[in-house]
Order: sequence, then structure tokens, then C-alpha cells
Amino acid sequence: MRLYDASSEETLRARKLLADWAGEGMLTQQQYRRLEQETVSELRTTNIFLRLILFLFTVIGVGAAAALFFVVFLSSPSEQGIGIFLLIFAVLCYAAAEVAVSQARLYRYGIEEALAVCSVAFLCAGMQAAFFRVAPYSPKPNGFQFLVPAAGAVFSLWIWRRFGFWYAFLAAMVFAVFLPGYWTSSHSAQHMIVALFYAIGLIAVAAVRSRHHFDCVEDDYSLVEALLWLGIYLAINLQLSSLDLGARLWGGSRAASEFARPFYWTTWVLIWVLPPVVLARGVRQKDRFVIAVGAIVAVLTLVTNKPYLGWPRHTWDPALLGILLTGVAWFIRRWLARGPGGIRGGFTAARLSGKDKQWLNASSAVLGLVTPQSITPSPQATNADVHFGGGASGGGGAGGDF
Amino acid sequence: MLATDMPSQQNEDFMTILARLEHWREQGAISPEQHSHLASLCRGEPFSLFLELNVLLYAGVLAFVAGLGWTVATWSQQLGDVLVLAILSAILAVCFWYCFSRAPAWSLAQTPAPSVLFDYVLYLGSLVWCIELAYLENRFHVLSGQWDFYLLATAVFFFFLAYRFDNRFVLSLALSSLAGWFGLTISHWPSHQDSAYRQCALLYCLLVGLGGVLLEKRGVKPHFFGTYLNIVANVLFWALLSGVFNRQGYWVWFLALLLACGASLAWGLTRRQFAFVAYAAVYGYVGVSSILIRGMTDAIIVLGYFVFTAVAMLVALVQIARHFGRQE
Repeated sequence: MRLYDASSEETLRARKLLADWAGEGMLTQQQYRRLEQETVSELRTTNIFLRLILFLFTVIGVGAAAALFFVVFLSSPSEQGIGIFLLIFAVLCYAAAEVAVSQARLYRYGIEEALAVCSVAFLCAGMQAAFFRVAPYSPKPNGFQFLVPAAGAVFSLWIWRRFGFWYAFLAAMVFAVFLPGYWTSSHSAQHMIVALFYAIGLIAVAAVRSRHHFDCVEDDYSLVEALLWLGIYLAINLQLSSLDLGARLWGGSRAASEFARPFYWTTWVLIWVLPPVVLARGVRQKDRFVIAVGAIVAVLTLVTNKPYLGWPRHTWDPALLGILLTGVAWFIRRWLARGPGGIRGGFTAARLSGKDKQWLNASSAVLGLVTPQSITPSPQATNADVHFGGGASGGGGAGGDF
Repeated sequence: MLATDMPSQQNEDFMTILARLEHWREQGAISPEQHSHLASLCRGEPFSLFLELNVLLYAGVLAFVAGLGWTVATWSQQLGDVLVLAILSAILAVCFWYCFSRAPAWSLAQTPAPSVLFDYVLYLGSLVWCIELAYLENRFHVLSGQWDFYLLATAVFFFFLAYRFDNRFVLSLALSSLAGWFGLTISHWPSHQDSAYRQCALLYCLLVGLGGVLLEKRGVKPHFFGTYLNIVANVLFWALLSGVFNRQGYWVWFLALLLACGASLAWGLTRRQFAFVAYAAVYGYVGVSSILIRGMTDAIIVLGYFVFTAVAMLVALVQIARHFGRQE
């Protein structure tokens, strides 16, 4: 099913690891040069920056070509006519993506990724225009209109399996969110159906993943499993899975009356149960992505607990959260460092990969620029004469609207 | 069964990294000690939580400062100036005492932080400095609302801290404070128009760029040079693009944009820093497109332009990727 040969992908992975190890001084330059010769893959790949701009210009080219076709050849087309041509474009884009991989051997090159993404977009837009004239999510949707997000989800899943693009799996998860809205008007049922979809996906992924150890496919499944855990959490956390998220978090709680009481309080219990389960799974599997999601959902539970219970927020809540996070990090670090050789239970706080340092260096420069603007929330209206916050001019929060 | 599910059954060449390491050890390409070390790394034994703990520390500092700032802004009248200033000053004093007492001797070269906490304590101190300064001016109007002086002083102070403690977080704060000073200074001018901002942005680029080059040439923390260059490149391209978008007198800006794109491309290719290739491609494309399709109303010509130029860009970028950009 997968377009790429497993040995080619594994060779590329080995090549990256070699570069990392050589950078960390675990291999001599002589060893690195020799082993590099043994990890030559026929796949054509590139660096992240060129990949991004190749993606961008492919999307521009494909989008403009489709629009040009409609302008030149269809002066006053019917909606169905547009839809059929969009479906044809979807087929063409998908075929081009397949050719780009099978003939040009492109691998995470931007071009084949953009073509695959465009094919999903054209498919959904084409189906909507060709078969369903009613606007999406109108009060009276067509009974079969759910087929549009369903087709989007299935096709995205296919692209994920075929090409291995993790964001195609994410797209499938997003499409799945829209499905229950066509089947039931009950918000509780919608949340449950979405969580059920993700749970089924999680069981399937966990079963397949157990057959892989220490290969590149395991890395792919690791990310997908993490996304599914996050999806389940977001589906059951009623304070987060809402469009007016900001207002709910800072302005007040989501009314418990919007949902049946047993359902509402069951989800509250679940948002406390899920983080330790995810963290335990991540730690047991030594899975970086799942551990990260476990930490994220734990923080989200702390952030949304008060709105859940209908308790008022305090201005010092973020500071308490900050102290807790810092304290946990400091405690774990010290606990690990005091183990024999700085290792406890197979975990260490020491840096073992050069990539970690690169990530920190790059992110510290970027975050240092953007954080001053985001750390100071707008002042509350109750204290009109004491007015500072915003830091709009970027100088470490010492901004202009004091 | 799927190809990816059982690769070893379908492809005899398939070797996991562990099998490869074993093969290299048998060949004598790596020593048994190296094999043992690298194989255990691949198996996640030990598994490093370095990145996760750093992210947790960063998020913790950020959340703490956000809460502190919000609390001070909301409750300062009830708490009273003395208490607020005492708390902020105490945090500030503890942070800087910690940093100055534990910092290694200053060196021109890159100096590792003495502990994982060190960088975050410094970052916390820097952010609390901003809150305290803002509070002082807001309550006592020490400089009669002359915020530009605060920003300049803060930028200077942050540059000192960044170079003393070798910290990129604080260097970025210094550069953004300096940019804020330039921006705020213009806002006091009688007529501050786009052209004034543009000239100031160029002056900022010149100042920061020259400063970065000078420090790098002198070997003073040369690893900071990348941060300078990335910030200068982005500010410069935005400034030049804003000139290109002008209705009149845009040719000089367009010419400058082309020169900057050429320089960025050359730098990116020769130094293998492909972010600069991306800057040249994206900013250059936006600038050239805005000139070429300006005033065009025919949809066919505009769309044809985008099809043609996107394909041309793809061909050029693929050639660049083939010759220069293969490695990750």
C-alpha cells in the first residue's frame, strides 16, 4: 500500500542518525564519511525550508491553473459542472502526486505533498458542488451531505497510508469532527461519536504499532497515536471543544445545562483520568509524542477545571500554574540526575541528541521575539485607572499602552 | 499484509538501524563500545527528557510572568505600591543574584549555562524587569511618559545580560526592545508616515546588521550572528516590500528588494542556510508579482501569470534543491 520502499525510508533515517551522532562526537569524521557512503538512498529529499517553499509554489500553481481553466473554458458554468471539473482536478492532482513519487522519487519534497493536499481539497469542493446544492451546515442539509466530510476523511486516511504524511491523518481527524453534526443534533451524542471514532482509531493504531520496534514506521505510528489521544481529550473536554473557546475560558464556564448532567460530570471525571493514562502509556512506551500529549492534556485539565466547576478565575491562576510547571520540571530533573549515572528507570535529563540543542536554539530566538507581546493579558475593566499590559511595542512587555 | 507492516518479509534489503549497527560492528567500521552506546540510544536506553523538561520550564516561566503581570495590573491599588514594588524587586534581586553568583567566567566564545535552570531564571528576571519598569512609570511617571527611553535603556541592559550570560532568549528580547525604541521614537514625530517607519526600519537593519558583523568579526559570541542576521533579513524585507507597495516612487524600493533578494540567495547558498533562500524566494516573489500585476484587470492574464511564475519558481527551486539543498 505504501508508495515508499521500507528499506529506502529506513536508509534515510539511518543517514540522519549518522549525521546527528557525528555532530555529537559519537562518531569520528572518518567513520561518518565511510558510513555515509553505505546509507545512500534513491529517494530525493530536501531540507525543511526548500520543502516549505516548494509546497507553497505548488499550491499557487495548482490553484491558479484550476481557476484559469474555469475562466477560459467555462464562462457561465452550472454548479454541477464546476463540481465535476473539480473532481477531475482531484484525480489529476492525485495522479501527479503518485507520479512525482514513483517516477521522480520525491520524498517529503513539498511538491508531491502539495499535490496530495490539493487533491483532497478538490475532492471535497467538487463533491459539494456536484452533488449537494444546499450550503454546508444549512438548517436543512441534504441527508447524504455527510458524504463530503466522510469522503474527505477516507481520502485523507488513504493519503496518510500511501504517502505517510502525518498531517493527512490530522486532516482525517478534522473531517471526522464534522460527521456527527449531520446525524444528530444532540451535542452530547456528537461529542461521544467523535470520541468513539478516535478511540477506534487508537485501538487499531496501537494494534498495528505493536508489531514495529525501532524502525521508521514506529515513529509514524507514534505521532498518529499521540494525535488520537489528543483528539479524544479534546472531544471529551466540553470546555475546550467549543468555537467561543476564549470567552468560555476567561469569561465564564460553559453552562452545565447545555449537556445532560450525567454526561457533563462524566466528561469532567474523564478529563482527570485521561492525562495520567496518556502519560503512563507514553512513559511505558518511551514515546516522546505521547508523553508530550500527556503533558499538554494535563495542563489543559488544570486550565479548564475551574470553568468546568463554575468557579471564578483569579488573576494569579497563571502564576500558580507557572510555579507548578517549573516545580515539576525542576523536581523531575533533580530526581533523574540523582540516579546512578544520571539515569532512573531508563530515563535521563541529560541531552543525548544534537537535534534537541538545535530546537532549543532556534525556538529561543523566535520565542524571545514573540513572547513579550503575549505574556501580559489585557487589564480587566474593573480597574480602569491602573492600565498596563499589552507590551505592543515588543520591548519585553514594556509597551506603549500603559 | 501491508508493505509497511511487514517490511522484512517483502524486502530483503530492509535493515533497521539496530541491524545496521550490528553490521557495521562486524565490519569493524565502529568499535564494540560505539556499537553498544549507539544501539542503546536507538532503543531509548536511556531515554532523554531534556527537551520536554526545557519546554516545561519555559512554559512555567511564561505562565508565572503572565499571572504576575495580570495580578499587578488588576490589584495594584488594593495591594499598594510598596508591596507591589517590594515583591517585584525581590523576585528581580533573587533572579539576578542567582545568575551573577553562578555564572561562569565571561568568555568571547560560546559558554554553556551552568545549569538547566540558569537560562530560565535569567529569562524570568528579564521579564520581571519589564513589569517593574512599566509599573514604576505607570504609577510615578518618572520619565513623564517617555517610553522610548525606557525601551532604549531596557535594550542596552538586555544586550549586556545576553552577552554576559550567553543567552539567546535575552538577545531576542534586546533586539525587539531596540526595534520598539525605534518605532516609539517615530510615533512622537509630528508627522509619522509610512516612509518614516521604513527609513527607521532600514536604519535599524543597518545598525543591528553592522553591530552583528562587527561582533562576529571580533569573535565576540559569534554564534549570535545567526539571530542578528535572521532578524535583520526579515525587517529589511518587510521594509522594502512596504516601499514596493507604494503607488509612487516604488522603483527604487523594487531595485533594493531585488538586490536584497540576490544577496540573501547568495548568502543562503554559499553558507547552506536555506532559510535565506526561502526569504529571497517568498519576499522576492511577492515584490515582483505586486509590480507585474499592478493595474491588471484581466483575470486570464493574472491567473496565467501565477501559473507561469509558480512553475518557473518550482523549476528554479528544484534545481537549487538538487545542487545545494539535499541534506536535512
